[in-house]
Amino acid sequence: MTTINLDMLNELQAINKKLVSGYHISEQDTTLWQELDQQIDSYQALFSALGHDLQHDARGFYYLASDESTPNMGKISRAIALTIYILIEHYANQGKDPLRVLFDESCDLELMQTIVQLNKHLFDQLEIFSGSDLRKDVFLRMVRLGLAREVEQGFMLLAPIYRYIDALMEVNEEQYDIEDEL
Amino acid sequence: MIPAKKLLNTINEHWSVLELLFKRFKLADFSLKDVQNILKQKNPSWSSERIYKETNRLLQQEIIIPLAKSSQLEINRAIADFASFLLQEESLGLAEEITVLVKDLERLGNRIAQAGEEADYSELRRFSRIMDERVRKIVKLFEHNESAIMNLVEQAKSDTSTLSLGMRYKAVLEAFDEYIEPMLEMVDIHGPFQRCFDQIELQVSEQIDEIEQLGRGAADKRMLEQLRTRILDMHLIGRESLSRSADLLMPLREELRRNTLITRQASKVLGQIRKRGVDRLLSPVQPEFVSDIQRFNLGQKRHMVAYMASLVEFEHEEYQLPDHDDVPAYQSPNIPDYNSVKTRFQQTGKKRQALLGFLNDSYPDLEADEMLFLYQKLINESDLALSQEQQKSKITIASHTFSLYPFSAKAKQD
Repeated sequence: MTTINLDMLNELQAINKKLVSGYHISEQDTTLWQELDQQIDSYQALFSALGHDLQHDARGFYYLASDESTPNMGKISRAIALTIYILIEHYANQGKDPLRVLFDESCDLELMQTIVQLNKHLFDQLEIFSGSDLRKDVFLRMVRLGLAREVEQGFMLLAPIYRYIDALMEVNEEQYDIEDEL
Repeated sequence: MIPAKKLLNTINEHWSVLELLFKRFKLADFSLKDVQNILKQKNPSWSSERIYKETNRLLQQEIIIPLAKSSQLEINRAIADFASFLLQEESLGLAEEITVLVKDLERLGNRIAQAGEEADYSELRRFSRIMDERVRKIVKLFEHNESAIMNLVEQAKSDTSTLSLGMRYKAVLEAFDEYIEPMLEMVDIHGPFQRCFDQIELQVSEQIDEIEQLGRGAADKRMLEQLRTRILDMHLIGRESLSRSADLLMPLREELRRNTLITRQASKVLGQIRKRGVDRLLSPVQPEFVSDIQRFNLGQKRHMVAYMASLVEFEHEEYQLPDHDDVPAYQSPNIPDYNSVKTRFQQTGKKRQALLGFLNDSYPDLEADEMLFLYQKLINESDLALSQEQQKSKITIASHTFSLYPFSAKAKQD
């Protein structure tokens, strides 16, 4: 039994508010991140008692795991996934190292327009028809979820994006072939 | 001749089998045993007799046909083309195919001009129909080839073998050199296509003008106009399709592309998304987020499970059907028979009498409402000679006091 000393958890309110809205706390949120880093056991115990599953990812972020989300959140998540995969592909086509560039370079509106244009048939499926659609429907939402932060020239992706890269590696083609055969 | 509908039914019924045959063997041959194995795999419950019968059905309807002088089989080309269209698994055609068709357009354009000169309108119609058909075919080829190039690119990008770049992208480079480059040259603004189309457009426009001047055949005019639009449209489609394809191929050709594990996987997944749809492919793996709203919703699976679990234990409270004894015996309102009341009132009729007073006196056991019920019935009775008092008076019956203009029996006239 962990003893939780609520007096020690200074940022509980702020942390709770962020986490339950789906936000990922990463190193850029210095105060919250340090607080979580120091008191992780207490927070984990507290949140699990509340029916949440507070996850610490070693690549530098905290979030509440969920096995299922609302249909709307699901759609947003798919749009984010598609955008990230297209970005990876786009960077690779330019001869850059996609993983490095993904986190090191900012995404500006021009880049968004380019990738929407080049991948029209994919973005059409998610009703994203222009660079500004992409900015509004994907990047601003990523900011709200703590997956990206807005900078002067555009958006910088943050460490929680690794969740999508993990998901990418999970896609298994054979699985769908079997599904087709059923 | 196999009836089309029958054929379609069979294809529909065995689509999963045909799809697998098509994917597994592409354009190679296969044996009868392979077909039966796949049938068995798709329909594990079928008896071997049934499988034999269904295999024969596929053979009889020429969906799969034997190779010449061999016991091996292949999918009927027409069916295979249809399947490749449906599955977007097209393979790249030849640049020459399109070139030949365009050259033929040139010839047909000349024939149209000639037919117009000779005022041979049935010929004119015939050629413009053929031309229309050719144009559609060219557009189809453009689309087909674009899809094929996408497939090639996806394959090359997601190839996991450790071959050198040059080896891995062989098919891509070939596609570029054999298809894209010659085609780009053709559709170039000074290229032969442009010249040809300009000429055809001129010829068709001339015909349209002539028809307008002669005021002849609106149907012919519309047909030619459509043809002209379609040709212009085709040129545009071709140019766009080619530039998209070139965009896809360019990074590979320049050997720029990095091929790490992640980029390979990304290309593969994007290719799959193109064919199967984003929702279907990503839904099972996408990261999920908690959101504020869902805490108040019964939307999540675990909520539903908890809800269903509580439903399982649900027992509604036993509803007791009332026993015969429990029902209180029906008590009729304590009202005496109306007719007897009426008769009794009539009999008292010697003196002028207040109706309510009579009721009160005659039936002292009645409740006030029961008495009023009788009163109300009596005053509506036309047989009785009743009159209403001019003055309001207060009457107490059954310990209730009423204030009303009471009715009384009139004194007998005689």
